[in-house]
Amino acid sequence: MKSLRGAFLAIIALVVLCSAASAEERLKMSTTTSTQDSGLLRVLLPPFEKENNVKVDVIAVGTGQALKIGEAGDVDVVFVHARKLEDKFVANGFGVNRRDVMYNDFVIIGPKSDPAGIARAKTAAEALRMIAAKGATFISRGDKSGTHVKEKELWQAAGIQPKGSWYIEAGQGMGPVITMATERQAYTLADRGTYNAYKGTKTDLVINFQGEKGLFNAYGVIAVNPKKFPHVKYDLAMKFIDFVTGPAGQKIIAGYKAHGEPVFFIYKK
Amino acid sequence: MNELYHLESIRKCYGERTVLAIDDLALAAGKLYTLTGANGSGKTTLLTLLAFLAPPSSGELRYGGKPVRWTNAALLSLRRQVTLLHQSPYLFNGSVFANIAFGLKMRGIRGEERRRRVERSLEQVGLPGFGHRRARELSGGESQRVAMARALVLEPKVLLLDEPLANVDRATCEHLEQVIVSLPGNGTTVIMTTHDPEQPHRLGGKQIRLVTGKLA
Amino acid sequence: MGFLSDTFSTALDLIASFDPDVVNAVSTSLGVALWSILFATLAGVPAGVVVGVTEFPGKRAVITLLNTLMALPTVVVGLAVYGIISRQGPLGELGLLFTPKAMVIGQTILAIPIVANYTLGTVKGADPRIVPTALTLGAGPLQSIRQLVQELRFGIMAAVIAGFGRVVAEVGVAMMLGGNIRGYTRTMTTAIAMETGKGEFALGLALGLILMGVALLVNLFLNILQQR
Repeated sequence: MKSLRGAFLAIIALVVLCSAASAEERLKMSTTTSTQDSGLLRVLLPPFEKENNVKVDVIAVGTGQALKIGEAGDVDVVFVHARKLEDKFVANGFGVNRRDVMYNDFVIIGPKSDPAGIARAKTAAEALRMIAAKGATFISRGDKSGTHVKEKELWQAAGIQPKGSWYIEAGQGMGPVITMATERQAYTLADRGTYNAYKGTKTDLVINFQGEKGLFNAYGVIAVNPKKFPHVKYDLAMKFIDFVTGPAGQKIIAGYKAHGEPVFFIYKK
Repeated sequence: MNELYHLESIRKCYGERTVLAIDDLALAAGKLYTLTGANGSGKTTLLTLLAFLAPPSSGELRYGGKPVRWTNAALLSLRRQVTLLHQSPYLFNGSVFANIAFGLKMRGIRGEERRRRVERSLEQVGLPGFGHRRARELSGGESQRVAMARALVLEPKVLLLDEPLANVDRATCEHLEQVIVSLPGNGTTVIMTTHDPEQPHRLGGKQIRLVTGKLA
Repeated sequence: MGFLSDTFSTALDLIASFDPDVVNAVSTSLGVALWSILFATLAGVPAGVVVGVTEFPGKRAVITLLNTLMALPTVVVGLAVYGIISRQGPLGELGLLFTPKAMVIGQTILAIPIVANYTLGTVKGADPRIVPTALTLGAGPLQSIRQLVQELRFGIMAAVIAGFGRVVAEVGVAMMLGGNIRGYTRTMTTAIAMETGKGEFALGLALGLILMGVALLVNLFLNILQQR
């Protein structure tokens, strides 16, 4: 029995060592993949964590799923970008205190050769019509994220129900979709933040279409409603919201650059 | 005669096959019995029954004048009076000492007494100082002797031996025969099976012959 | 060629320099897997031994069930546990979702059938003389089973290690229940899945190399134990 017992003790000792985690508080945040994949959270979170002695647990998924996790009360705060869905989330009583945080815009990226010639398009909807007409490969997030929601709005505006072998629904985050589009030399709709973080080293795709008003991309932060879910860390969530919308957080966001270019923009007060 | 076991209308069947059918057999305390018979005559089955390891299919087994009740609680105290030495004994993976001490440990005998009794039984089988050896690294003859010591150390009322000398060298055989013969004098009942037709005569004692599960 | 060899050397650099992301993912993976296997051992070994040594009606059905559960898809376990521990689920109040504890629950469920099955196999293949020998030397029924376990210790350790190999390499439960939170619930496997998607092959490859090293060690251990 001795050796068996010895092995057990060794395992327990190892386990205890491995899990000697500190007892600091944790704030759970579900967010869109673009805030994480763009690298923003890596600079935005540490000052907040340090100041309040708290760890922010980031669950990076699509905006749709991030809101769903919030609707289940599994997180304390959500940080997403799909205004219509956000307003519904608040209206249905799941969230309170929605605040604007930052914005950038969506761009349509694709191969440098631009096979569908969308650089000549006047609107995003027209660009999509050209892609569909040409049957050029287009990769959709397909994950109910904010970007996906925007993309569907654009297809609707173009009057097209995208389907066919050229239209690929990936079901993945922004980063993986850019990687996939790069591999397939396909078009995709991306937020400028994530694209900037990928540009050059990880993707050779270029922006083929940009600058239309309809491509505006706004990010909002919402506390999960403590009246609905008494267990949520509402006070901490509010501290976080105050931080990212306050001067310190806004300064970090405005100053964050990827490859020398700003990724997100703050609203002028 | 001081009756120890009494078997009445005992039947042991495996499915359709009856392997043991003993109508009446009494075994006395403090005697040596040799059990002979061809392969498959039911010798091992009989020993297993006498060791209280497997109940009969029907019939009654009495021990010390009382019918044996085949319940866990009753069996534990019965089994602690009797021990069976298998013809190819299984030695636990560990030291010789641990093997021999096992039965003593089960009986709550510990410390100095345990050590003393283990050493004495090793001397008895001619392996003094073997306690620290690993059981799995012994030769065939040594293993057989250790298994014998593991049984002897318990000072059982009944020692059941299934061909204890079948697979051992001559020297071991002679040594163990001497040990076996000396036991009934100390009040131990010995019941052993054997293939060797000469052995019953050499050892003396009473001979029981089984033919296809029946007394002959 | 340049891409691959560059990636490879960057991966080796990340390992050699104890990159915090790598170290965190490795320690989370090992910690969660060790806790899981501890609980799975406490449940699975007794279960395997009991099914192995006792006879009861429906035993064959239980064995078939154990065999089936061995092939339990990790995402199904993830889904089921998610539904139970989410705030809307029956155990929602405990707030377990997206914590290492949630991963331990899921991986324990994955590992129990493996540990139990391998233990059962070891018990079924055990020398039939062990229990009678213990009994005739005066052991009670429980003591004789304890002795059986002791005799089978290497086989049972192999069962435990096989379970560990399964959980440390799985990604479904870790991703769904842990949420892939950096520095908290991000394991080697979830990090590999994510980093590859993001095009960070070097980090993924570094973790992949370590994971393969762990798998190699586990199998080496298994081999040694099976030869004893």
